[in-house]
Amino acid sequence: MEQQMPKLVRIERRESDLHLTYDDEQELTVSYHDLRHACPCAHCSPLRNEDETSLKLRSQVESFKLHKPSVNPVGHYALNFIWENGCSNGIFRFERIWDLANRRDPDGGKPYVHGAW
Amino acid sequence: MAESPITTHDPKNEGQGQGPVQASPQQNKEMEKNFAQMKRKMSMEEIGLKIKHKIMVLSGKGGVGKSTVSTGLALSLAQQGLKVGILDIDITGPNVPKMMGLDGHKLHVEGGRIHPAKGHLGVKVISMAFLLDDPDTPVVWRGPIKLGAIQQFIGDVEWGNLDYLIIDFPPGTSDEPLTVSQSLPNIDGMVIVTTPQAVALLDSRKSITFAASLKVPVLGVVENMSGYTINGVTAANTSVEIAGPGGKTIKSTSDENGNFSVTLDIFKKGGGKSTAEDFGVPFLGALPFDPGFVRGGDDGVHKIVSDPEGASSIAFSAIVKAVQAQISDKPSSSLEII
Repeated sequence: MEQQMPKLVRIERRESDLHLTYDDEQELTVSYHDLRHACPCAHCSPLRNEDETSLKLRSQVESFKLHKPSVNPVGHYALNFIWENGCSNGIFRFERIWDLANRRDPDGGKPYVHGAW
Repeated sequence: MAESPITTHDPKNEGQGQGPVQASPQQNKEMEKNFAQMKRKMSMEEIGLKIKHKIMVLSGKGGVGKSTVSTGLALSLAQQGLKVGILDIDITGPNVPKMMGLDGHKLHVEGGRIHPAKGHLGVKVISMAFLLDDPDTPVVWRGPIKLGAIQQFIGDVEWGNLDYLIIDFPPGTSDEPLTVSQSLPNIDGMVIVTTPQAVALLDSRKSITFAASLKVPVLGVVENMSGYTINGVTAANTSVEIAGPGGKTIKSTSDENGNFSVTLDIFKKGGGKSTAEDFGVPFLGALPFDPGFVRGGDDGVHKIVSDPEGASSIAFSAIVKAVQAQISDKPSSSLEII
């Protein structure tokens, strides 16, 4: 049975990743490369549909210099990360960040056809 | 029809060895109707929880581009990867489906639930247009029938989990917004669309006052058809003069490649902003006058889809960010970011 998502209570922006603390005391990490590769915006999402374009997106995000992003809460349900370069459009729902922190595909294996869900 | 759980009894007959009195067919019909309404109300409350944000889009005057703004907001949000739906509540003149490339689409009904159509970028759409056999036939309904249809469109639709539901209304301050605001819990607020001319501004001021009477917050005012930009080429570094609206001369200078552009304020300028300031509500931004919206609407391919990097898409993106900033006023206070 899938574990219910606990509440995210703390985000520490480290040199190369986010250190996340949840209210059930779990501490997890998401690397900036993983986060940027999983951008849910309409530009980045379709690139993950094919291995070739997905790898290209991956190498592009890995080519960016590592830096701490600005983090803006979006309502009560999501976060927006602002980067110095590349795409900052994606709104990351907490469920998406939770999936990434647990090393799961946040799109559940679904291709981007009609939106990233 | 499912058996009603309601039975009747007559207290006069209690203790006289007689069973419950059977309701008359008319009473049964009434009770079934009440039961269905109760189920719908419960469903509406559940839907209210599944949809994180609900935004009403209104204008006092018709023809200001309300459906264009509604679809633009929905598509711009969907571009961020969010789950979005549009409820086209304009029962007498539904045109969202055409703009979303869903002209002629018929709704799918399964298990007594209406399943929305999916338009560009996966935006879910419900519209009265889907129920019309002939697009030339007008819908002539009195208030109570309209009210029932709206409640059905909210309570009987299988929206699933959504981040945003954009609700597009007919112009004016009549039954429809009143019904929706009373039926759908936790509406985030209203976006008021206007054009810069005085008549539209006067009506948009009524909409702002109307929002206050409904106790729905105004997220802000959008000024549509704000300015039409003409691009041209002439000799490099040359002064250019264009005769603008009202005989006003608009000056520009071409760059080193000879390119110049001037913006004509066809319907005046800045009225939306001043109206917002007068009423102390946020000004969300101005959208340029873009003939591409007309072509896109007619062809069923919205400008945001056909030209995602264009000036209008950028303007919509800025408006969406301003809307989200209004909704994000109260971020998760317990989340610490360091």
